[in-house]
Amino acid sequence: KRRKVSENQDIEDRLESLILRVGEKSTSSLESNLEGLASVLEADLGSFRVKILRILADCATNMPEKCTIYTTLIGLLNAKNYSFGGEFVEYMVRNFKDALKNCKWDAARYALRFLADLVNCHVIAAGSLLQLLDNMVDAAKEDGVPQVRKDWYIYAVLSILPWVGRELYEKKEQSLDTLMSAIEVFLIKRHKNHHEALKVWHSDVPHPQEEYLDCLWSQIRKLRQDNWAEKHIPRPYLAFDSILCEALQHNLPALLPPPHHDSYHYPMPWVVFRMFDYTDCPEGPILPGAHSIERFLIEEHLHQIIESHHLERKDAAAQLLDVPYKQKIPLDYMIVEVIFAELFHMPSPRYLEVCYGSIFIELCKLHPSRMPQVLAQATELLFSRIDSMNTACFDRLVNWFSYHLSNFQFRWSWEDWESCLQLDPEHPRPKFIKEVLLKAQRLAYHERIHKIVPETFEPLIPEKPEPTFKYSDDTAPGANTARAIADAIRERCTPEEVLTGLAELPNPRAGVDEGDASSYNPLKIDVFVQTLLQLGMKSFSHSFAAISKFHYVFKVLAESEEAQICVLRSMFELWHNHQQMMVVLVDKMLKTQIIECSAVANWIFSKDMNGEFTKMYLWEILHLTIRKMSKHVQRLGSELSDARERLRRDESHSSESDEEMGGEGAGGSGVGKSGSGDDKDKPSEDMVERMEERLEAAQADQKNLFLIIFQRFIMILSEHLVRCDTDNRDFDTFWYRWTIGRLQQVFLAHHEQVQKYSSTLETLLFTHDLDPHILKVFQQFVSLRA
Amino acid sequence: MYIGNLSFYTTEEQIYELFSKCGDVKRVVMGLDKYKKTPCGFCFIEYYNRADAEACMRYINGTRLDDRIIRSDWDAGFSEGRQYGRG
Repeated sequence: KRRKVSENQDIEDRLESLILRVGEKSTSSLESNLEGLASVLEADLGSFRVKILRILADCATNMPEKCTIYTTLIGLLNAKNYSFGGEFVEYMVRNFKDALKNCKWDAARYALRFLADLVNCHVIAAGSLLQLLDNMVDAAKEDGVPQVRKDWYIYAVLSILPWVGRELYEKKEQSLDTLMSAIEVFLIKRHKNHHEALKVWHSDVPHPQEEYLDCLWSQIRKLRQDNWAEKHIPRPYLAFDSILCEALQHNLPALLPPPHHDSYHYPMPWVVFRMFDYTDCPEGPILPGAHSIERFLIEEHLHQIIESHHLERKDAAAQLLDVPYKQKIPLDYMIVEVIFAELFHMPSPRYLEVCYGSIFIELCKLHPSRMPQVLAQATELLFSRIDSMNTACFDRLVNWFSYHLSNFQFRWSWEDWESCLQLDPEHPRPKFIKEVLLKAQRLAYHERIHKIVPETFEPLIPEKPEPTFKYSDDTAPGANTARAIADAIRERCTPEEVLTGLAELPNPRAGVDEGDASSYNPLKIDVFVQTLLQLGMKSFSHSFAAISKFHYVFKVLAESEEAQICVLRSMFELWHNHQQMMVVLVDKMLKTQIIECSAVANWIFSKDMNGEFTKMYLWEILHLTIRKMSKHVQRLGSELSDARERLRRDESHSSESDEEMGGEGAGGSGVGKSGSGDDKDKPSEDMVERMEERLEAAQADQKNLFLIIFQRFIMILSEHLVRCDTDNRDFDTFWYRWTIGRLQQVFLAHHEQVQKYSSTLETLLFTHDLDPHILKVFQQFVSLRA
Repeated sequence: MYIGNLSFYTTEEQIYELFSKCGDVKRVVMGLDKYKKTPCGFCFIEYYNRADAEACMRYINGTRLDDRIIRSDWDAGFSEGRQYGRG
């Protein structure tokens, strides 16, 4: 009997492998492979029906790029065995419903597309598919549901029309027209406040940056004008027309979209990124136009390849370069555009930025005769249009380009960019070069950067990352103390001894009562911070060790927020030429709770930092600060829900034991009755209560942090707008653009956290009397999940 | 994680910069020559999260830093004394 089982297993495995591999490169034609496979499967339906059903349905959703191959196979099977066809349709419909209920939007879309393509294979009747599509469009007419829900249903319907549009047009022209009109009505009425915020470029020249539904709608309309004739999708079923048209068709069961639920998250809207048109790729095949359906289909396929292979950059590169229709399109350009689209995706890219960087590197290695050239051309284009690029994308471009250069010996034709040396240093172009060199210096070293750019670039070359130690000047007030402390620290003194050493220093703040809780001594802080960090200057590790050894001194000297801002200021004065050092030091001081997040925020917006305000690293610091806060809140939140869960389980358990043990209190003796062995960390009601308090406190801190940040933004921006108005000057300066861009970035990069405080922000800060330029940024943010 | 094939001149700062692209770095321990106590081409990196170390294996292993193709590998964890190479 055992042999029978293992034989069956062998057959199942063989069937699975045959099904999975159909459509791969083979010596015989796809048609004959499909025909052969259909016969094999038909013969095995008797014993392996369920297994075959399951494998085929999995292929339908997991390998959407082979959709038409599998629909053809199902068509052939249906022609041979009508009841199996029916079972399969039922199975797919169930998958589709489950995906909708579980918010697996892509899986749902692939399942729907598969069902649609089964109409082409004479498995499903056109009328019943139209009924389903009508129901979906009706879902977009509901009131009181988020627009993103309606958007998804419309998107899902539109995105399958390239597959089945022609068939519906031939069989049910009128119904299709009605469907199209209903969609058009929806699109006309739709709000698009989010559009501006999600654009990579503010400008629509040379390429309009279209909202995704608008763009797809134009592409579908164009397809309709062409009588739904689509030439891109391979359609193996055409070869089997004579067999398939004999087959009987099934009707889809009546299917209504599951109603909206507050816990449902729908995909956020996006903007279609465009950087090339046919004039950019003069040699070889022509790039399909922005509104041709091919552009949509190819892009979708490339995104899908990235999705399936993003864990293996080498496979991703190889698969991208090996799409079946590569002869017919300028593939290099389309790959580059699609990867940049992902990297620049707003509010955040779907994978790590370095994932895209590493795929680009592999593409260059795999296709050295073309890829580096196309990528260089792309970089040129991005640079030339950087004036209107949104600030978050500006940062990502800087990070990518410096990283890419560091992988290719920093070779670049810098001379071509010489002209921007004449521009205002705040202009995005010289700014871009400067920031790239700064980042490149972090990955290399100062002398190297000097060597890679022409001498004329001197003004853009970063400073040598060295400390500026105030107390090396003997006449500076406090210099003697600084020297004494430095000697003591070298002699391995204790933190208390440092405090004693500082005791002599007078407080330059007049009229401060030393005993006051808010009192602090800026001179003491400065002497201590500068001296300690100067001693640890050799490396990050040295600095970290110094900070943790004298942690106590920090805590004593800098209790209040003002004092903590002094710590940051002293650090800045010492390390202002070493941005990376400042980033890691702030990070360290936050982690070790020497400074609080709110202190960092207030420091960034303080007058002292005016000169640094448009530099990238300062925002790197702000974002890491916000992230730290968010992580803290998230951690406390998940700990609390864990504890609640354990408490609940414990209660239900103890109520059982109450019965058994005659009412002895829960957890009284603690005899290992629970069996799970987690008795010792069983939370008490008290503990859960304390955790709740901690979470609430953390959320209050988080809210406070956002309030500080947004209020400071509002203050400086309003001040600027008012001043320009009174002076009769144009407000739209580089400074203004950078600052508004940074405000936008804070909203978008942390939208999930900020969302929680949306209504507070609306009542306290973003009120209707605010300047519309600033208010607009808030409204765009709100509309992301509207 | 163990990181190998570094240039002798590559600094802790550079390593921080590159490896932070995959996540929050807990610490970097530079490999030192047993006798001269100078960097000798390897280091240890600890991330707070395992997922970040996985990303490092995926995206940084086999790319360049200071013009050298660096290698990363899983490591049981740093212990005192292991920072000294064989000289």
